[in-house]
Amino acid sequence: MPDNPWMTAPSPDAELMALIDRIGHRDEAALRLLYDRTSPKLMGLAMRVVRQREWAEDVLQEAFLTVWRVAGDYRSSLSPPLAWLGLIVRSRALDLLRRRTADRAQLTQEFDELMADTLESDAPNPADTADASEQAWALHQCLSQLEGRQREVVSLAYLREMSHGELADQLKLPLGTVKTWIRRGLEKLRVCMGRFA
Amino acid sequence: MNLIAHPELLELLAASHALGTLRGGARRRFEALAREQAPVRAAALVWQGRLASMTELQPSITPDPAVWTRIRNMIDAEQSKLAIERQRDAANARAADKAQQPQQGGWLRSLALWRGATAAGALATVLAVTIGLNLRDQLHNAPAVQYVAVLSDDKDAASMLVTFDPKKKQLVLQRVGGFSEGDDKSLQLWALPPGGAPRSLGVLDNAPGLRLAASESDVHAVPALAISLEAKGGVPAGSGPKGPILFKGALIEKTI
Repeated sequence: MPDNPWMTAPSPDAELMALIDRIGHRDEAALRLLYDRTSPKLMGLAMRVVRQREWAEDVLQEAFLTVWRVAGDYRSSLSPPLAWLGLIVRSRALDLLRRRTADRAQLTQEFDELMADTLESDAPNPADTADASEQAWALHQCLSQLEGRQREVVSLAYLREMSHGELADQLKLPLGTVKTWIRRGLEKLRVCMGRFA
Repeated sequence: MNLIAHPELLELLAASHALGTLRGGARRRFEALAREQAPVRAAALVWQGRLASMTELQPSITPDPAVWTRIRNMIDAEQSKLAIERQRDAANARAADKAQQPQQGGWLRSLALWRGATAAGALATVLAVTIGLNLRDQLHNAPAVQYVAVLSDDKDAASMLVTFDPKKKQLVLQRVGGFSEGDDKSLQLWALPPGGAPRSLGVLDNAPGLRLAASESDVHAVPALAISLEAKGGVPAGSGPKGPILFKGALIEKTI
C-alpha cells in the first residue's frame, strides 16, 4: 500500500515513543525533553478540564510524575504516545475535580461564563494538531464536520466525564437538546471515523 | 438482543460507552456483552482509542517555568531516597550474611535454643514494651530535616547523604558509598553559591557518620554542595578547594 499515510507521513510519534522508552529507564534528560515537547499541549488539555491555571499546573505536575513512574508500561498500552499522555492528564485532572467538589459552585459559575462564549460564537474548531497522532488527525477532521455547539458538548462530555444531566445543568440547555446533540454528533462521528478505519 | 447483527447500533453504543454518556443499567448491560462477545469488546476498544485522541486536540498553553522545577525537585528527591534505600538494603544484606554464618550447622536442632524459647517469649513481651517506649522517645527527638543533598561521584553513584537539621543547627553527613580517602587525606565539604566562589562548610574525618555545625544562612539559597579531596586537615581558611572535586549534588529544600 504505497499511499498508506501511516507508512509514509513523517510522524512525531516515533520520537515521543523513544523519549518515553528512555524515561522508562530512568533517564531524567528524556523527561525534560518530553516535557519541553508536550507540556504546552498537555497544559492546554488540563486547563480545558479544570479551568483554573493553578489547578491545571498541579495537574500537569502530577501527570509528569505519573509518567516518570509508569513510562515502562507505555508500550503495552498500544496507544499513540500523545494520546497516552493525554489520558494520564485527563485522569489526574478528573481526580482533582473530584477532590474539589466542595468548590463546585465557583467552578460552575466560571464554567457558565466560559460556555456563554463558546456556545454562542460557534467558533471554528480551535484544535492544534501539531504533534497529534494520525488517529487524532482523523478525529479532528470528523469533529470539524459537527456544528460548533455539538462539537463542544461532545468534547466536554468526554473531557470532563459529564453525563447528559450534568451537561444540561451546566450549559442551561434542555436535557432533550443535549441528548439529541450528542446522539447526532456521535452518529456523524461514526460515519466519518469509519472512513478512516 | 444480538448486537453483532446490528453493526450501526453496536458502533453507537460503543461510542457512547467510550464518551461516557452511556450510564446506569445500559452501561452495565453493554459491558457484560463486551465481556462475552469479542466483536462487542473490539468495538468498545476501538472507540475508546478514537475518543482518547480528543486529549491531543486542545489548544496549547505554556505552563509557568516553576512547574518543571517542582517536577524535577520531586523526582530528584525520589531518586535520592531510592539510592539510599538500595545502599541500606545492600548493607543489611551483608550484615545478615555475617550474622547467619556462625549459626549454620543446625541451630534448629539445638536443644538449648528450644529450652530458651519459652523464656524468650516472656522476654519478647518486655522488649516490645521497652522498644515501644524507645520508639516514642526517638520520634520525639527525631531530627528535623530542612535540606537534603545526595552527593554522587562522576559515575552518578550516590556517595554521601547530607541533611541539614535546623533545630540542632547542624549538617549531618552519612557515607553511603565505599570510598576511602586514606590516612593522609581529608574530605572537605563546600557550598557552591550561584555566581560565587565555593565556601567551605567543614572538613570530614574518617567516621561513617559526621556532624558539622552550620546555620541556615550557610545553606539557604545554595543550589549545590560538593566534596573535594584535600591534604590531611583540609585547605587553610579562606582558600578555595585545591584538590579534585569527588562528589557533588543538588541541595533540595524540603517543602513537606
